[in-house]
Amino acid sequence: MSKLLSLNVKIGSFKQLFAPMGIGSTCNSPVLMERRQQIHLTEKCNEIRKLARLRVVDNSEIGKRAMAEGKPPRCIHVYNKRSVGFIGDKVLVAIKGQMKKGILVGLKQNQKPKVPKFDSNNIVLIDDNGSPLGTRIHVPVPTILRTILKEKTQAKGADYTKVLAIANRFV
Amino acid sequence: MLRSLIVDLSKLRLCPVVVTQVREKGHLTRPRLRNPYWFVRKERLARDTTVTPENKTFLQEVIKDKYGPPALIKGIPSYDQSALIKTEQFERQPWHEKARRCGLIARKIGQYPLWLKNGERIRTTLLQVVDNHVIRYIPPQEYQPAQRPSVVNLNKYGCLLVGAESVDPSTLTKEYCGLFKDSGVMPKRNLGRFIISPEAAIPAGTPLNVAHFRVGDFVDVRGKTVDHGFQGVVKRHGFKGMPASHGVTKTHRRPGNIGGGGEKGRVWPGTKMPGHMGNRWRVAKGMRIWRINTKYNVMWVQGSAIPGPTNGLVYIYDTILPLRKHKTAPPFPTAFEEELEALTGGRDDVWYEDVHDFKNETITFQPDKN
Amino acid sequence: MNATRGVLSASWLKGNGFKRIVTFSTKAHAKEITASHQKHIPSAHTPTGTSDGRKSVIPQNYRFIYPEFLPDPKVEWRNPVREKLERMDMLDRRTKIDIPEFYVGSILAVTSSDPHAAGKVSRFVGICIHRDRCGLRTRFILRNIIDHQGVEVRYELYDPTIQKIEVLRLEKRLDDHLLYLRDALPEYSTVDLNMEPEFLDENAVVPINDIKVVLRPRPWLERWERQNLQGVVNVDQYITDKQRRQAIAHEKPWEKYDMMKQYRATIPEEEQKEIYAEVHSQLHNLEIQRKRNKRKRSFVKPTKLA
Repeated sequence: MSKLLSLNVKIGSFKQLFAPMGIGSTCNSPVLMERRQQIHLTEKCNEIRKLARLRVVDNSEIGKRAMAEGKPPRCIHVYNKRSVGFIGDKVLVAIKGQMKKGILVGLKQNQKPKVPKFDSNNIVLIDDNGSPLGTRIHVPVPTILRTILKEKTQAKGADYTKVLAIANRFV
Repeated sequence: MLRSLIVDLSKLRLCPVVVTQVREKGHLTRPRLRNPYWFVRKERLARDTTVTPENKTFLQEVIKDKYGPPALIKGIPSYDQSALIKTEQFERQPWHEKARRCGLIARKIGQYPLWLKNGERIRTTLLQVVDNHVIRYIPPQEYQPAQRPSVVNLNKYGCLLVGAESVDPSTLTKEYCGLFKDSGVMPKRNLGRFIISPEAAIPAGTPLNVAHFRVGDFVDVRGKTVDHGFQGVVKRHGFKGMPASHGVTKTHRRPGNIGGGGEKGRVWPGTKMPGHMGNRWRVAKGMRIWRINTKYNVMWVQGSAIPGPTNGLVYIYDTILPLRKHKTAPPFPTAFEEELEALTGGRDDVWYEDVHDFKNETITFQPDKN
Repeated sequence: MNATRGVLSASWLKGNGFKRIVTFSTKAHAKEITASHQKHIPSAHTPTGTSDGRKSVIPQNYRFIYPEFLPDPKVEWRNPVREKLERMDMLDRRTKIDIPEFYVGSILAVTSSDPHAAGKVSRFVGICIHRDRCGLRTRFILRNIIDHQGVEVRYELYDPTIQKIEVLRLEKRLDDHLLYLRDALPEYSTVDLNMEPEFLDENAVVPINDIKVVLRPRPWLERWERQNLQGVVNVDQYITDKQRRQAIAHEKPWEKYDMMKQYRATIPEEEQKEIYAEVHSQLHNLEIQRKRNKRKRSFVKPTKLA
């Protein structure tokens, strides 16, 4: 999905795309657009399944480089029974030819009341012990993760609450 | 003559085993199951269109004289008939765990959320107990259910006839109105019977109210589900149907295969197929009562999946789930109007301890001390 | 209360055409309603005559300020007792927390107690992009962009964990919902987290912000071109001729003449009056209390100059 998105940006240069979008301008003239493949954007496609593109939001080296190159990581496994990732779940991602684990810290799909819904599917990369690869998360993180990650930590050996320690803003 | 005598004797069940050898024509054609005596035609077929307006007002006056003026009792249009009913004094017996209490007839009036004190939202259904009165108690010896109970339960349970929602008797048949004669209760639109143990008997004419159940109790709610008519498998059983395109023709909402071949070369019983959906009696079991309002006779029951449409009739029983039965004595045999005050503590609204009362302050979470 | 059906049928029998009110405005009527709204506001607290000659003290704009007091118009789901109990619960909650008047497009700050961080509160500031459902289920969505990340939180209006709802800027927008802000450029949904509330004069008309939003290029989350949005400037820019044709094909211009549809989607005016007559006195008291508190807050004690 985001691959196609990035493709769009490449089609017309950035300037051309945003130039005619002044607030007062009338947009009756059809802009020449390349024929694009139709993408499904239903709720189901907002789910984190295998091969879903994610966004790394910490400042780990590999994550930063992957995002900068326009090759966001892909989810290749979700560590839960349903194989659909929800908030706070652990996923395995393919990033720059490597396999890394990550924790979902923000989702596009509809959430329960008072749980924030984000505009992108965010992950924080972690190692096997649960400690994050980066040192900062540069987007807000939902507070419900405090409870979820605490519960998961008690169940398993790894300590996921370290992810919370590097977050700089909770919503 | 002799035969009818024998049948009468057998009805009384004076002797444990009665073998009546009747060899006559037609004794086998008699229906096995007999409808209870209160299954009589209710509505009068032809309304008298020739009644003059003066006579109509006269009829209204007669009803008013007999049953009292029309009133709005606990949120439902009814008649103030309390002066008419004279319930005799009776001996109340203590509750025990095996006792089976009477239930209530209610209307499902809608659903809305409540919040628990931990901030969680619960979905609740509101059931309004509509003007219930005991019509008659039939002791175990006399009660003959359509289906004979097993030998263990033979003559163990009696039957309590309960009516709900008073109506204008002029719209009803004479036979139907006759059912209510002994109790002194105004004829009711709905009748229901509850199988009870003899200790839980309630004299005829007693009004039943929502305080019959306590907050925090678990109840089973029985109702007739919404009638959807004849439906296909997609709606009835949640099948997925087939793709809309890619060469699929005329099989978009069809079930597909319904069975294998070979030894199993037939349609197995219980296969999910199209058919009539809904309009069936279903019981929602083990629903907790979160809140009770005695002013409007309303109870808030767990869940939004109580069978039946909004404004449909449901029957409320004590739950049969073994772990959710009463641990302490409930109002036994029922909560009488005079003890309502003591049961509810004089409040209109009784809330379960876990539920957040909207009159209380906003919920705040305190950190654990340890 | 129980006589509502009776009233309804009686008025049907009489056959006099009575005006119906669209509770949640549909697009075709949006302008008329806002116009009537403005017209009514100056006379909000002056008594207006009703058909039966009795003077009504209920302000005409209550159905815009408190839309959630009107029940779901679906006939099968209605029950007078349930609606009354629900209204009582709503009023009980309103005595504990000040739920202000707000609309889609207003900027709100919601403070709620956080079960995941005991003893603390979480405050979220954002623009209200959606408001739906009625009664105790009323909910709304706030949207903001924090650290270049779009965040949306959905709140329930009567959730008892909400401690405070502040309206930082009271205004309306051109559309019934602003869900298209998800596909718009980020500056249109960015709100400063430390924004100070802007005070509006008590009797002033709620301003309509006629800002037109610029969308990002497709893909979009919804087919905005089919929704006849007033507050978007450049839908036409990104759609193809085929999409334009389809949008025209999917138009339903006859719906504004569909009286039955309108009837099913609304609560009749008579019933609205009954409902608001029931809750008016309490709501009015709460309003007076709110004004008193506001004055107390805005009054700054002058410091003595040395």
